[in-house]
Amino acid sequence: MPFGIILKRAFRDIRQNLVTHLMTTLVVVLTCLIFVFFNLFSINLQRIADHFGKELAIIVYLKKDVSQEKVPVLYQKIVSIKGIKEVKFVSSEDAFKRLERYFSNEREILAGVDPTFLPPAFEIQIDKALYNPNRVKEIAKEISKWNEVDKVQYGKEWVDRLENFSKMVRTALIFCAALLLVTAAFVVSNTIKLTVYARQDEIEIMRLVGATNGFIMGPYLVASLLQGLLGSGAAVVLAFLAYSYLIKAFGNSSFWESLHLQFLPAENIISIVVVSGLFCTLGTAMALRRFLKL
Amino acid sequence: MIGTEQPIIELKKVSKRYARDILALDEVDLKISKGEFVFLTGPSGAGKSTLLKLLYLAERPTSGSINIEGLDLSGLSRSQIPQLRRKIGVIFQDFKLLHNRSVFENVALSLEVLGFKREQLTKRVKQVIEGVGLGDKLYRKVIQLSGGEQQRVAIARAVVNRPPIILADEPTGNLDRKRTREVVALMDELNARGATIVFATHDETLFRNTHRRVILLENGKIKED
Ligand SMILES: Nc1ncnc2c1ncn2[C@@H]1O[C@H](COP(=O)(O)OP(=O)(O)OP(=O)(O)O)[C@@H](O)[C@H]1O
Ligand SMILES: [Mg+2]
Repeated sequence: MPFGIILKRAFRDIRQNLVTHLMTTLVVVLTCLIFVFFNLFSINLQRIADHFGKELAIIVYLKKDVSQEKVPVLYQKIVSIKGIKEVKFVSSEDAFKRLERYFSNEREILAGVDPTFLPPAFEIQIDKALYNPNRVKEIAKEISKWNEVDKVQYGKEWVDRLENFSKMVRTALIFCAALLLVTAAFVVSNTIKLTVYARQDEIEIMRLVGATNGFIMGPYLVASLLQGLLGSGAAVVLAFLAYSYLIKAFGNSSFWESLHLQFLPAENIISIVVVSGLFCTLGTAMALRRFLKL
Repeated sequence: MIGTEQPIIELKKVSKRYARDILALDEVDLKISKGEFVFLTGPSGAGKSTLLKLLYLAERPTSGSINIEGLDLSGLSRSQIPQLRRKIGVIFQDFKLLHNRSVFENVALSLEVLGFKREQLTKRVKQVIEGVGLGDKLYRKVIQLSGGEQQRVAIARAVVNRPPIILADEPTGNLDRKRTREVVALMDELNARGATIVFATHDETLFRNTHRRVILLENGKIKED
C-alpha cells in the first residue's frame, strides 16, 4: 500500500474541504466534551463517596465530664462489638485542631473559642464486608445506652445515597457514551460521504485505472481517524482548561480541598481518544463500503 | 504462431443486453493473440465501445464467457478486478479525465495506484506527456485544453504504466490528420514493443492501406474479420 500517496491525498482532501472538515471535528469535540464532563462528574462523585464513606461511620460523642481513665475501658468495649473494624479516639483538643485546619483561611472564626468546647469522641469504622444499615443502627442504639455517651451519630445513610447516585450516574455514563460515540461516528461518516459524493468521478476513474479499494478508501479513513483523534483530544484539553479554571477560582477553600477532586486519570483520557478515533474510522469504513458498493 | 498459442483475449458466444430491446452484442466469438494490432470498426451504435467495456469489466456480459490471459472474467472476484485493470490501458471514448487537475496529475494517477515512487513517477509521466506533444502544458488544468489535447492526455494516461494490453476507443476522434498519424505511430511503436492493441474506430483511412487485421461489427455481430 503506497502510504505516502494516501496521506498526501488525505491532506489534499482536507485542505479542499477545510470548512466541512472543521465543522465535523467541532461536532466530535462537542460530543466528546459532553462525555468528558460526565466522566469527570462521575469519577469525582465516586471519590467523594469513597472519601466520606471512610471518614464517616459511627461517631460516639462522650459527655464532657468523662474522665481520661474511662477512655481505654470504653475503647475495649467498642472494639469487642462484632463487625467493627477500627476505632479511633478523638479528644476535644484533636477535634479543635481539625477544625482549625478546616478553617485554615478563615481562622478568625475560631478566635476566642475555648479549644475544649468540642466533646471528645470515638470514631468507629464498620467492617465493609460485614456492613449493613440495620447492623449499624443496632450498634449505634446499643452504644447510646451507655452512661458515658452523650450522642451517637451515624452518617452512613447519606453516603449510601451518594454511592447509589454515583452508580446511577455511571450507568447513565455508559449509555451516554454509546449514544455519543454512535452520533460522532455518524456525523463523521456523513461528512466523508459528502466528500466522496463530490469525488465520484475521480473514484470511478481511479477504479478504471486499477486502484484497489484500500487505495480509494485510504485517504477518507485517514481523514476520519484524524477527526476522531483531534476532536476527542481537543475535548480533553478544553475540559482540562475549564477544570483548572474552576479549581483556581474556587478550589482554595477548605471545603473544596476536602473533596479531593481530580481530573480524569490518564487511562481514561487515552481510552476516550483511542475509542473516538476508532469509531470515527469504523463508521466511515462502513459508510464507504455501502456507498461505494465495495 | 497464431493458433498454437493461447489467445490473450478470447470471447465465446458473448452477448450483452442493456435493456430488453437493446442487444448491443449478439453471440460474439473472437480471439486475439498476444502482440496483435487489431482494428475494431463498424457504424455508430454497432457495439464497439460495449465490447471494450466488457474487456475492462466496466460491464458484465449477459451471456457467454470472456478470457483474458487465460483468466475467466466471470470467475473474477471484486478484489481481483484492479489487478486485471492494471494490465489494460484504456483510452476512453469520453476521455474520463479529471477536469480540475493538471495534465501531470491525470497521467500520474495510473502510476500512483501502482505505488510508484515519486522520482520515478515524475520522470516517466513527463516523458510520456512529451511523447504526446504536451510537454509545454504539463501543469495546465485539463479543462483549459482543447478537445484534441485532452484526447492526448487520455492516451498518455493509458500507456504510462506500459500495460500489455491497450484498448483504444476512438483515440483519434478529435484529432487532425497530423495528430492522428502521430497517435497511430505511437500505437505502432507500443505494439512493436510487445503490447496487444485493440483500436476501435470508424475512420477507414486508418487501416485501408495496412495489412492489419480489421474486425467489422454491425448490429452487435461480427460481419467481417
Ligand atoms: N449504458 C447503456 N445503456 C443502454 N444502452 C446502451 C448503453 N451503452 C450503449 N448502449 C446501446 O448499445 C448499443 C451499442 O453501443 P456502443 O456504445 O457499444 O456503440 P459504438 O459502436 O461504440 O458506437 P460509437 O461508434 O457511436 O461509439 C447502442 O445501441 C447503444 O445505444
Ligand atoms: Mg463507442
